[in-house]
Amino acid sequence: MKKIPKVLIVVFAFALLYLPIIVIGILSFNSSQVGSNFGTITARWYTEIFANSSLSGAIVNTLIVAFVSTIISTIAGTLIAIGIYSFRNSSRNRLLLLNNFPVVNADISTAITLMIIFSLLGLRFGFTTMLLSHIFFSIPFVILSVAPRLRELDKDLLDAAIDLGCNKFQALYKVLIPSIRTGIITGGLIAFTMSIDDFVISWFNTGNGFDNFSIWIYARLGRKTFSPSAYAYNSLVTIITIAGLVIYNLKTVRRLKK
Amino acid sequence: MKYKSFVYPYLIWMVLLVIIPFLFMALLSFSKSTGLSFDSLEFSLENVKKISETVYYKAILNSLLYGGIATIICLLIGYPVAYVLAFSKFKYKTLALVLIIVPTWSNMLLRIIAWEKLFLPNSILNSIGISLDLIGTPLAVIIGMVSIYLPFMIFPIYTVLEKIDTSLIEASSDLGLTPFKTFLKVTLPLSTSGIISGIIMTFLPSATAFALPARLSGGKLQLIGNIIETQFKTSFNYNFGSLISLVVVIVILIMLSIIYRVDSKGETLL
Repeated sequence: MKKIPKVLIVVFAFALLYLPIIVIGILSFNSSQVGSNFGTITARWYTEIFANSSLSGAIVNTLIVAFVSTIISTIAGTLIAIGIYSFRNSSRNRLLLLNNFPVVNADISTAITLMIIFSLLGLRFGFTTMLLSHIFFSIPFVILSVAPRLRELDKDLLDAAIDLGCNKFQALYKVLIPSIRTGIITGGLIAFTMSIDDFVISWFNTGNGFDNFSIWIYARLGRKTFSPSAYAYNSLVTIITIAGLVIYNLKTVRRLKK
Repeated sequence: MKYKSFVYPYLIWMVLLVIIPFLFMALLSFSKSTGLSFDSLEFSLENVKKISETVYYKAILNSLLYGGIATIICLLIGYPVAYVLAFSKFKYKTLALVLIIVPTWSNMLLRIIAWEKLFLPNSILNSIGISLDLIGTPLAVIIGMVSIYLPFMIFPIYTVLEKIDTSLIEASSDLGLTPFKTFLKVTLPLSTSGIISGIIMTFLPSATAFALPARLSGGKLQLIGNIIETQFKTSFNYNFGSLISLVVVIVILIMLSIIYRVDSKGETLL
C-alpha cells in the first residue's frame, strides 16, 4: 500500500473512534446542561461529580462490583483454565467451546438467560444478582487469556516440581501460577474493564434501586435529572488512562532503544 | 497436569446459568404463563403467531439489515487499519493499538449521546455554522454503530495478521506475484479466521443493540433488541420475549459453530 492512503485510513478510523470522546470532553466543560448549544466554559460539572449523590453513589457501586467481580473471576477463571488443560485434546476442546459460548453470545441474550434463572432461583434483584452476572461474563475472558500461556507451558515443569518434593498444591502456587502470571494479569484487566463498561447485562440483572454508572445514565437519558457531571467523570477517567498508557509506552520505547 | 477436578464446579455453574435457563426460555416461548411461574403454564402457539406481525418481523429484518451494513463498513475500514498496523515498523505501534481500545473503555451510552448531540439540528456545531440534522436517518444509526463496534473488527484481524510469517509474503513476491496477487493468494486466505471472528463480534452486538438505535433514530427505528427490552422491562410478556431471545440464541449457536471451525482455541476472541 502507498504511504498516503495508509495514513489516511488510520486517521479516518481514529477520527470515528475519537470524535465522540472529544464531544464528551467538550460537553463536560459546556455550561449548557442540555448540550444543544455552546454556552460558556465552566468547571462546574467537575466539581459537582461528588456533590451529586445519586451519580457518585452509582460510580461507587460500579467500582465495588468491578473490584469484587474481578477478584473472584480472576481466581476462578485461572483455576478452571488449569483444570481444562488437565484434560486431553478432544475433551479440552469441547470445554473451550463451552467456554466460548458466553464470549460470543450477544449481551442481551446473556442478560435474559441470567435474569430468567435468577428469578427462578428466587434471588432478590440488586447487588448480588449484578455481581453474579458480572462474574459470569468475566470468567470466560480470564480463561481465554490464561489459556495461551498454559499451552506454551513445558509439560515437564509440573512433573519436575512434584519430583523435587512439591505436593500438588505447592506445585500449583509455586510453579504453575507464577509461570502463567502475565495471562492472569491480562485476564484480570479485561475482566475489570468489561465490568466497568457493562450496561446491558447490568440493566436486566439489577433491581431495588441498585444503579451502576451506565444504568444511572440510561435512566436519565433525555431527562432533566441528567447531569453533565457524567461527561466530566468519564472524561477524567479517559484522560487518566490515556496519560498513563502514553507514559508507560514512551518509557518502554526508550528502554528498547538503550 | 492433574487438576481436572477444578473443571467440575464450572460445569455445574454453566449448566445452571446457561443450559437450564435456555430450556426454560424454550418452554416459555411455546406457552402462556403469568410472569415467570410454572403454576399457570399452558401450551400455546400464540407467540409464534405474534412474531409474524409486521412490527416484529420488520424489527428482525431491520436488525439483519442495519447489523449487516454496519459490519460490512467496519470490515472495509477495519481490515486496512489492522493490515497497516500489523505490518508497519512504526515505533509507537503498540501505543496506536492500545489507543484503538481506549474509546471502548469510555462509557458506551455516553458515546451514543455524544453522536446524538452532534446529529441534532441544534448542536454545539452551530457555533461553527454547521447543523448536521441527521437524527432519524439510517446514516446516523450506521455511523454510530461503526464508531462503537469498529475496534471489535480491528482486533481479531490484527491478531491473525500479526502472526503471519512474513517470509511467506516475501517468497510469494520472489516467485513473481504482484503485491496485489500476493495479498489475494497469501495474506487474505491466512487471515480468514480473524475476519470471521471480527464479523461475528461486530455483527452480533450491532444487530442486537437497543439503546443505540433508539437514540440515534429518534425513537423511529426498532431493532430486535428494542423488542426484547420492551417485552422484559415494560410489557412483562416473558413468553413472547423468550421466543424472540430464542431466535437470537439460535443465530448465536450457528455463529459459534462457525468460529469453532476456523479458530477452535478462541485466539481471535480476546
